[in-house]
Amino acid sequence: MRMGTGYLKAGVAILALTSGIAVGAAAQAKPLEIATDASPVGLDPHVVTSFASILVTKNVYEGLTAIDDSLNVVPALAKSWTVSPDGKTYKFSLRDGVKFHNGEAFTAKDVVASINRIKDTKTGSPLASRFTVISEAKEVSPTEVELTLSAPSAPLVSQLADLAIIPASAAGGGADLQKGAIGTGPFKFQQWVPDTYILLTKNESYYEKGLPKLDGLKFNIVPEATTRQVGLSSGTYQMLPNIDGALALTLKSGSSVNVLETTDLAYSLVGFNTTKAPFDKPQVREAFNYALNRGKLVDAAYFGLGQPAGPLSPALKDWAAPTSDFACYKTDPVKAKALLKEAGFENGVEVTLNVLGSVQSVVDAAQVVQAQLTAAGFKAKLNVQEQGAFIQDWRNSNFEAFVSLNGGGVDPDDYFTRTFKTGGSTNVYKYSNPEIDAKLDAARASNNKAERQKIYKEVQVELACKGPIAHLGYANLFTALGDGVDGYKILANRQTRYLRETTAK
Amino acid sequence: MYRLLARRGADLLVTLFGVSVITFLLIRLVPGDAVQIMLGANAEVTPERLNALRQQLGIDRPIWEQYFTWAGGILSGNFGSSLWTGKPVIEEIGARIGITIELTLLSLGLAVIVAVPAGVAMAYLRNSASDYVVRILTIAGVTVPSFWLGSLLIYLMFLFFPKYPAVGYVPFTDDPWGNLQRMLLPVIALSLPVLAALARITRSAMLDALGQDYVRTARAKGASELTVVMSHAWRNALIPFVTTLGIMAGYLFGGAIVVEQVFALPGLGRLMLGAINERNYPLIQAAILFVTSAFVVINFLIDLLYVAIDPRVSLK
Repeated sequence: MRMGTGYLKAGVAILALTSGIAVGAAAQAKPLEIATDASPVGLDPHVVTSFASILVTKNVYEGLTAIDDSLNVVPALAKSWTVSPDGKTYKFSLRDGVKFHNGEAFTAKDVVASINRIKDTKTGSPLASRFTVISEAKEVSPTEVELTLSAPSAPLVSQLADLAIIPASAAGGGADLQKGAIGTGPFKFQQWVPDTYILLTKNESYYEKGLPKLDGLKFNIVPEATTRQVGLSSGTYQMLPNIDGALALTLKSGSSVNVLETTDLAYSLVGFNTTKAPFDKPQVREAFNYALNRGKLVDAAYFGLGQPAGPLSPALKDWAAPTSDFACYKTDPVKAKALLKEAGFENGVEVTLNVLGSVQSVVDAAQVVQAQLTAAGFKAKLNVQEQGAFIQDWRNSNFEAFVSLNGGGVDPDDYFTRTFKTGGSTNVYKYSNPEIDAKLDAARASNNKAERQKIYKEVQVELACKGPIAHLGYANLFTALGDGVDGYKILANRQTRYLRETTAK
Repeated sequence: MYRLLARRGADLLVTLFGVSVITFLLIRLVPGDAVQIMLGANAEVTPERLNALRQQLGIDRPIWEQYFTWAGGILSGNFGSSLWTGKPVIEEIGARIGITIELTLLSLGLAVIVAVPAGVAMAYLRNSASDYVVRILTIAGVTVPSFWLGSLLIYLMFLFFPKYPAVGYVPFTDDPWGNLQRMLLPVIALSLPVLAALARITRSAMLDALGQDYVRTARAKGASELTVVMSHAWRNALIPFVTTLGIMAGYLFGGAIVVEQVFALPGLGRLMLGAINERNYPLIQAAILFVTSAFVVINFLIDLLYVAIDPRVSLK
């Protein structure tokens, strides 16, 4: 009998545990069910800038400016702005009557506090280097802000779209923004259940009349592509944002699913360490480019849903140079071998490529690259890494070469200066070319678009073949919408601005 | 009884200490720390900024110092807080454990309910056609990986019943029927390998028992076939069955991590996997300690079961 009570107790304990299975809030107004593969790591818009975080935070926070579906800069929290003739003083006049989600009124103080917080080294913001050019942010009146720059900066207004305005009270540490979010945007942060979902609800007092149209957004974290696909087709989920070609192709064949398509600003790349053999020799980098057949690579790794291009995405129509401008984009293994010989590798060369293992399209592309290199005398070894290991090696420039996927900006300067300028903040390639440095500075200082276009064209031609990066291709980007979801527009920069205009049945 | 309990308690403490040290070191030996993961590849950061962020998270101090702070906290009942949500890890684990327990218990239940009759029947009808068929099926069951089976089940369900809510999660307390509907496929995917293994062990244990003298004696004294099989043979086949059950509880937990991932169920398995991917140190450490304790407790319960099943085993 003693044993009997033992069983009973165990049974009671188990029952007690299972009755606690409730997770999350009770049913309320119906949010749009969005399924995404990756979970954000923190929500502080000044610290975490991964796609997974931005997907959520961009609906809660806004910048002074915003980027629309044609990648143009449009007003957001700033109604309008003026630039002084020397390009060093910007005056922003702010929208009136805007309230943060915690009820505080939005004023010039919040703008100043946000800019200062990003620039503060204690914040550790990856965006800081973009705004070091701002030497002072000053409140002129509650609805007017003046920014003084140390040098003219053409990309500033487009970059300000990524500078989330937070309440001044939170900037000083009044709230932990990694764990919650207080912005001015169309949706309010409601709840975060790690690795499960993040729930945003409608901001009833949003300043744009009639927006947002949805009751809320629920970002479900669903790692398996099959589960997301079936979930969308069967109606459990209503939207799969920013998916790749493989998933989009399967979904397109289904009936009640609507797939939107654009060219991605993000690009897959092979990056070279220019201070380590063998890629320290420009000829070896050029040979690598000649060895690639980018058309076939796009066919094999992206199912043909993409296009080969140079250092800038073809989505940046005003800036990107056509691939016909780049000599090394014509596949030529013989020329590649000759270049290798010139560099002293007569019998071919062995190289190791680190591969970002957490993104399937990157692994696929790396395998195609590996195969294509063989004909040109490269013996490539792939080192597929877990993302933590990859990131660590990347940051320490501990690689001969790597294959990865990078997000792009809407102004060429964004990408070029931090990546290719000597000492640039993401120049892990340790590339240094005084001629390129001078050109990038000149383009940044100019407010004349035609002049900038001319300079960037020269920069692209030089970088495409001998630079520290072999740009592989720009995949098409897709967003799948379920039955009855309307009004959404897909953006090349992967942002979900148009969720505020979306409706759902 | 009490002495066994005390010995098991001491075992548990030693195991937990060892596991805590190993987990603590291993997760920090993995390249890429929490800050690097947070920023990702292609973020613009200087070494000073990296250090500032590490300081905020308290992971800039020497490892041994971090360990003692953490271990000291546990002794006073504080397991730490999640790096990203700031909630106490105990709360995070508590909110998720129920789903994993529901999933494991349902799977174990399904496995036992199907495996025992199937195993007994296989042994009784050994070398018949149905024995061969079921044996082939169980071999297939043991070898099929749950993640593959899970994806396959989702697909098949969608193909034949497109409107069936196969994915997503609804708490049992909100909608019991919807919860069970969505649990059906994960439970099948998780239980099949266990079911197959249990059926096979039942078959061989029963074969063994049916060949024993006491079975012949029972038949000779005129007991019905049902009594012979169920009270005489099955009772003796229980010991190896229960041992396997204990091992399978461990398998079920490992399988639950995979199945929760495939079906997007917010259980403990996904919590741990996410924590590892994001280097959420306090959460990983507490979750692993919790799982370790659960194992030791389950094995203790199995030991007690032996006593109940076999009068020759005593607790001394």
